[in-house]
Amino acid sequence: MDFGFMKEAFPQILAAVPVTLLMAFASACIGWILGLLIALIRKGRIPVISQIFGIFVSFMRSVPMVILLYISYYVMPDLINQYGSNIGLSIDVSVIPPVVYAIFALLLNQAAYSSEVFRSAISAVDEGQREAALSIGMTEFQSYRRIIFPQAFATALPNLSGLFVMLVKDTSLAYYVGVYEITATANLLSMPKLNFIEAYIMTTVIYEVLSIIFNKLFALEENHLKKFRGKLVA
Amino acid sequence: MTYHFENIPSLIMSILQAFPVTCEILVVSLVISLGIGCIVAIGSLSENKTLNKIAFTWIAFMRGVPTLVMMFLLFLGLPQLMTNIGIPISTTNKLPYIIATLSLTSSSNMAEMMRASYLAVDKGQSEAAYSIGMDGFTTLRRIVFPQAFGIAIPMLGNNIVNLFKETSLAFTIGVVDILGKARAISAASFGANKLETYISAGIIFWAICLILEGTFNVLEKVYTKGRKKATS
Repeated sequence: MDFGFMKEAFPQILAAVPVTLLMAFASACIGWILGLLIALIRKGRIPVISQIFGIFVSFMRSVPMVILLYISYYVMPDLINQYGSNIGLSIDVSVIPPVVYAIFALLLNQAAYSSEVFRSAISAVDEGQREAALSIGMTEFQSYRRIIFPQAFATALPNLSGLFVMLVKDTSLAYYVGVYEITATANLLSMPKLNFIEAYIMTTVIYEVLSIIFNKLFALEENHLKKFRGKLVA
Repeated sequence: MTYHFENIPSLIMSILQAFPVTCEILVVSLVISLGIGCIVAIGSLSENKTLNKIAFTWIAFMRGVPTLVMMFLLFLGLPQLMTNIGIPISTTNKLPYIIATLSLTSSSNMAEMMRASYLAVDKGQSEAAYSIGMDGFTTLRRIVFPQAFGIAIPMLGNNIVNLFKETSLAFTIGVVDILGKARAISAASFGANKLETYISAGIIFWAICLILEGTFNVLEKVYTKGRKKATS
């Protein structure tokens, strides 16, 4: 154990935490909104579109994250280039940092997983709730916003929390496409003097602390939302 | 850049040559992780406070650490540590490292699965078994386990699919599994068909996951048919 190295490298690894968190938050925010839309489309049984999203969700859920990352990393620059030349702009793809491609892959994956969570949560809300809302003159949109979503969200939260912790772990895979997040930074720092043990023990500790923090935060929020949940199981 | 998507079927065939390796990783780490999971589940269900603490710490720890970091820790770190204390271990055979990584990280999911399905069986079932004179082990074998197994099937299917997806990390340390083979093919053509190769690998994973899911759905239907729902 080389404690000198640990003392020197720890701040540098810690400095990479914001990159990991950026990837996690960005893909969770966008991915979950997409997931909610997909869930509503599939719930509404809109023909063709809902089948297409069904296939999308099944594909995204069964293909490993690494492959998604590679596909996004190799395809996106081409697509952006082509789109640019179609609208008459020459976009320099090389200035786009790889973290963008990583976020893109992560958010598609999150969209697929969270759409299933939202779908089951919305189905878990009693149909009578919606009918009651409509009967007192709410519009369809209002019934969703005021009655169904708060209850569905309370049911979905435990699953979303699991999903988010999984996402934080999955950001470590962005290492493959050259994003300098926690794992890649530790790998880089450990190379010159082969301090693998020290570097990865520090990485493990950081990930553990992150997962403890997020678990605690979600548990707090779950307690807060309990008031919506009690009435569900009437 | 032009893509040749018509090559995908032939690419799939050549990538599938590496399927036995992936299968080996999956099956061996599944068996080991079920074993570890069983021990941890017993610990988490026991009345002993220390055992309980150890089991829950294990579950929380293994859930928090990314598989990739675990793999680096075992493949790069462990040999170094062992050499330092005087027991050099070789890294020429890489399969044991990926198997150990996957067994450890998925053992927490397996333990949680076993714990949840054991607790889902009504307590009255084992009490009834005791009342007619069965001992602890017979009760577990004849009454609790068959019911818990039915509850565990969907979760087991899910865990196996996740484990199968994580085997794709094996290429990182140089094992030629499905993704490793795909990368070799892509490198042999100097990256000209990398998109097609990765899509082919993705299709293989998708197909196998669908087969696994289908199998477990059928298994659940067949197994729970005619049995009373244990959760009632």
